[in-house]
Amino acid sequence: MNPIYASRRRKNVVIKFLCLAAAAFGVTWLALILFTLFYNGLTGLSLQVFAQDTPPPGSTEGGLRNAIVGSIIMTVIGVGIGAPLGLFAGTYLAEYGKHDKLTSVIRFINDILLSAPSIIIGLFIYGAIVVPMGGFSAFAGCLALAVIVIPVVVRTTEDMLGLVPNPLREAASALGLPRSLVIRRIAYRAARSGLITGVLLATARVAGETAPLLFTALSNQFFSLNLTKTMANLPVTINNFVQSPYAYWKELAWSGALLITLTVLALNIGARILGAERTSK
Amino acid sequence: MTDLSVSVSTATGPVPQAPLPEAAPKVTARGLNFYYGEHHALKNINLTLGTNRVTAFIGPSGCGKSTLLRIFNRMYDLYPGQRATGQLLLDQTNVLDSKLDLNLLRARVGMVFQKPTPFPMTIYENIAFGIRLYEKISKSEMDGRVEKALRGGALWNEVKDKLNASGLSLSGGQQQRLCIARTVAVRPEVILFDEPCSALDPISTAKIEELIQELAEDYTIAIVTHNMQQAARVSDKTAFMYLGELIEFDDTNKIFTSPSDRRTQDYITGRFG
Amino acid sequence: MAVESDVMEAAGPYDRARALSAFKLGDVTFYWITRACAISVLLILGGIIISLIVGAWPAIREYGAAFLWTQRWAPSADPPVLGALGPIYGTLITSVIAMMIAIPVGLGIAIFLTEICPLWLRRPIGLAVELLAGIPSIIYGMWGFFVLGPFLANTFQPFMISIFDGVPVLGTIFAGPPSYLSLFNASLILAIMVLPFITSISVDVFKTVPPVLKEAAYGVGCTTWEVVRNVVIPYTRVGVIGGIMLALGRALGETMAVTFIIGNSFKIQSSIFAPGTTISAAIASEFAESDGLHQSGLILLGLLLFVLTFFVLAAARLMLMRLEKKAGN
Repeated sequence: MNPIYASRRRKNVVIKFLCLAAAAFGVTWLALILFTLFYNGLTGLSLQVFAQDTPPPGSTEGGLRNAIVGSIIMTVIGVGIGAPLGLFAGTYLAEYGKHDKLTSVIRFINDILLSAPSIIIGLFIYGAIVVPMGGFSAFAGCLALAVIVIPVVVRTTEDMLGLVPNPLREAASALGLPRSLVIRRIAYRAARSGLITGVLLATARVAGETAPLLFTALSNQFFSLNLTKTMANLPVTINNFVQSPYAYWKELAWSGALLITLTVLALNIGARILGAERTSK
Repeated sequence: MTDLSVSVSTATGPVPQAPLPEAAPKVTARGLNFYYGEHHALKNINLTLGTNRVTAFIGPSGCGKSTLLRIFNRMYDLYPGQRATGQLLLDQTNVLDSKLDLNLLRARVGMVFQKPTPFPMTIYENIAFGIRLYEKISKSEMDGRVEKALRGGALWNEVKDKLNASGLSLSGGQQQRLCIARTVAVRPEVILFDEPCSALDPISTAKIEELIQELAEDYTIAIVTHNMQQAARVSDKTAFMYLGELIEFDDTNKIFTSPSDRRTQDYITGRFG
Repeated sequence: MAVESDVMEAAGPYDRARALSAFKLGDVTFYWITRACAISVLLILGGIIISLIVGAWPAIREYGAAFLWTQRWAPSADPPVLGALGPIYGTLITSVIAMMIAIPVGLGIAIFLTEICPLWLRRPIGLAVELLAGIPSIIYGMWGFFVLGPFLANTFQPFMISIFDGVPVLGTIFAGPPSYLSLFNASLILAIMVLPFITSISVDVFKTVPPVLKEAAYGVGCTTWEVVRNVVIPYTRVGVIGGIMLALGRALGETMAVTFIIGNSFKIQSSIFAPGTTISAAIASEFAESDGLHQSGLILLGLLLFVLTFFVLAAARLMLMRLEKKAGN
C-alpha cells in the first residue's frame, strides 16, 4: 500500500476512534445521571409523596403535595402570561415587521434574552416586583417564569410562521381578507402544531427553573393557594432539601427531581411528536 | 408542455376569423409602470380587458406578465419596495389610489395561483370561509352557496360526499378547482389566473381550461400562461409581453395567425422563449 | 354549469364595504397588540438593565471600580467590605475548564453523529442528546452534589494530586486535600451540562454543509476525517464558534448546577481542587438572607454577570447569523 495513503488511513482510524470514545464518554455520563436519578427517585416515590405536604425538619412523615401543586400553579400562570405575549410578539416579527429595522433589533435582543442567565431574571423581578410590592410572592415567581417563557415562544412562533408558504397568505389576501384575519385564520391554522410545540418547549423550560424562584416566590412548608404570599414549589424545595442534614428530606429531593425530570421529558417528547406530525404532513 | 396532446372539445383553434366585437371595458391600464426597488419591471403598459372576455398574457419567463397580473389586485402591496405608477381603472375605480380599500378591491378582483393553495381546513370551510367574511347568512343558505360555488368550480360531484374532509386531501387538480370555487364564492367581477395549470397533469389542465371558458360567461378573466396552446384554446384576446413591454395586444386569432410584430411571430413559432 | 348571475346582484360592493369596515377596528387593534408585544421584548431588556443598575447603585457608590479587584468578601463586617474578585475568578475559571472538556468531547460527538455513526443509531442518540439538553440544571447540580463530588474526592483527586506532587506549577494547580466541594467538581458538572448543548448546535450547524461539497471531497478520495477537517469545519467554522460561545454564555451564568458543589468560598486559592464560588452561586446562596449594602453588592455582581454574558451571547448570535446568511445563499 502507498505509504502516504497508509498514514492517511491510520490517522482517519485514530480520529474516528476518538470521536467514538467522545460519544461513549458523553453518553456514559448522561446515562449515569439518569440511572442514579431513577434509582434514588423511584425508591422514595410513593402515594405519600403526592398526598402529604412537606415535612418539618427531622420528621419522616410527609410528601411534596404543596410543592407539586405550587409548581403547577406557577408554571401554568407563568406560561399563561408569557405564551400569549410571546405569540403576539413573534407574530409581529414574522408577519408585520418582516422587513423592518426594528424587527432585526427585537430579534437580536430576544435571542440574547433566550440564553440570558435565569438568575438575572430573578434579580430583575426582585427589583421590579418583590421590592415595590413589599415582599416575596408566588405572583412574582409567575412573572419571573413568564419572562423566561416569552423569548422561547417568540422565537418558535417566528420560525413556525416563517414556514407558512407565502402563496397561502397571498391566496387569503386575494379573497379580500384583512391582514389580521389572514394571520389569525390562515397562518395560525397552518402553523398550529408548530405553535403548540413552541409553547410546550417553553413549559418544559420553566417547569424545572429554580434560580429565578429563589428570591421571588421563595418557598414555604405549607399548602397555599394565595398568589400574594410565598408559595411552596418543587425546584426550590429540592434546593433546600438537598442541602439539609435530614436523610428523609434528601430522599424527597430525589423523588421531586425525578418528577420534574419526567415532566420535562414528557413535555419535550410531546413537542417532538407534534413537530414530527407537522413535517410529515 | 404537458398538455400539448390534449384536445379540448370547446377549444377554439387558431383559424382566421372576423375581429371580435368591442366589449365594454372592465379594466383599463394607461401608461402603467412598475418598479421592484430600482428595477423598472413594466414599461408604459396600455391595454383594456373587455367585460366577460378572456385575456391571455404570454411571453418568455421574466417578461413581466405575472407582475402585471399582480397589479390588477394590488397583490404587490404585501411586499415593501414595490410600486406602480400610471393609471389603472377597474370600471371607474382608480386601482392605484393609495386610499383605496385593498380588501374591497381584492374581493372584486379574485385570483387563482400557480400552485393550488387550499386553506388548512375542510373543503366546506374553504368555501364558506370567504363568504362569511362579507355576509351573515343562515346555515341552509350557506350550504346552498357552498354547493353552488363547488358546482361553479366543477368539483361538486367529486366532493359532495366528503365536504368535511380536509382541503389538503384532494388531488392537485381538485385542489386547484377548489381554489377556483373559493374565488367564485366571494362573487368577484374579475378573476386573475396566474399560470393555473403549470403544476397540473394534462387531464386536470383540460378540466380547468373548460372551466375558465364557462366562467367567462359571468366574469372578466385574465390568465397568465407559459403555454401558447393554452392561450390559443381559452382566450379571446392575447397580449404578448417581452422584457417588461407590451409588444402586441390583439384578438387571439390574429396573434396566432398573423401577428404584426416580428418578435411576437418569433415567440409563437418557438424561435425563442 | 356556469354560475347563475342572479346571485351577483344580491351582494353589491356596498354590502362589502360595510362588512369590511366592521373588520377594520379588529385589524388595527390586532396590529397594535402584536406590535406592543414585540416592543415589550425590548422593554424587558430595558427593565433588566434599569432594575439591576438601581439595585446595584448603593454598592457602586460605596466601592466604585475597586469592587472589581477586591478579594475580601465580609458582608457582616461593619461597614461591610465587598469585593467581586473571588466570584469573578471562580466564574471564569470554572467556565474555562468546563469548555476545555466540553468542546472537544461535544464536537467529537457531533462528528460521530453526522459522519461516522451508523444511520439507524443516529436518531436515537441525537434524540437522547437533545432531550438531555432540556433537563433542568438543578438535576445536574443534585447529581454532582450526591454522586460526582464524593466520587471525585475519593478517586480522581487523590490520583491527580499524587501524580503532580512536587511538579512546579502543575503541583500547585492540583494541590490537595481532596474535597467534595471544589472548583474542579463544579467545572466538570458544568462541562457535562453544556455537552449536549454544544453537540446539538454543532450537529445542526454541520447539517448546513451542502452534500455536494462533501461528495466532491469524497469523490477525490478523501477519508472521513479529511472531509471533516477540510470541508465541514472550514465551511461551518463561524457557526461552530457561535455555538461554543452560546454554550459559554450558558456556563458563565449557570446557577443551580454549580451552587451545591462549589463550596461558596470567596477566597481565591491556586488549587482547582479547593472550594471557590461563582457570581451566580454567590447570589443564589446569599441573596435571600441579605439586605442593605450586602444585597446591593450581590445585585452589582448580577449586573457584572449580565454585562459579561450579554457580550458573549451577542458575539455568539452575530456569528450564528453570519452562518445563516451563508447557508441562505
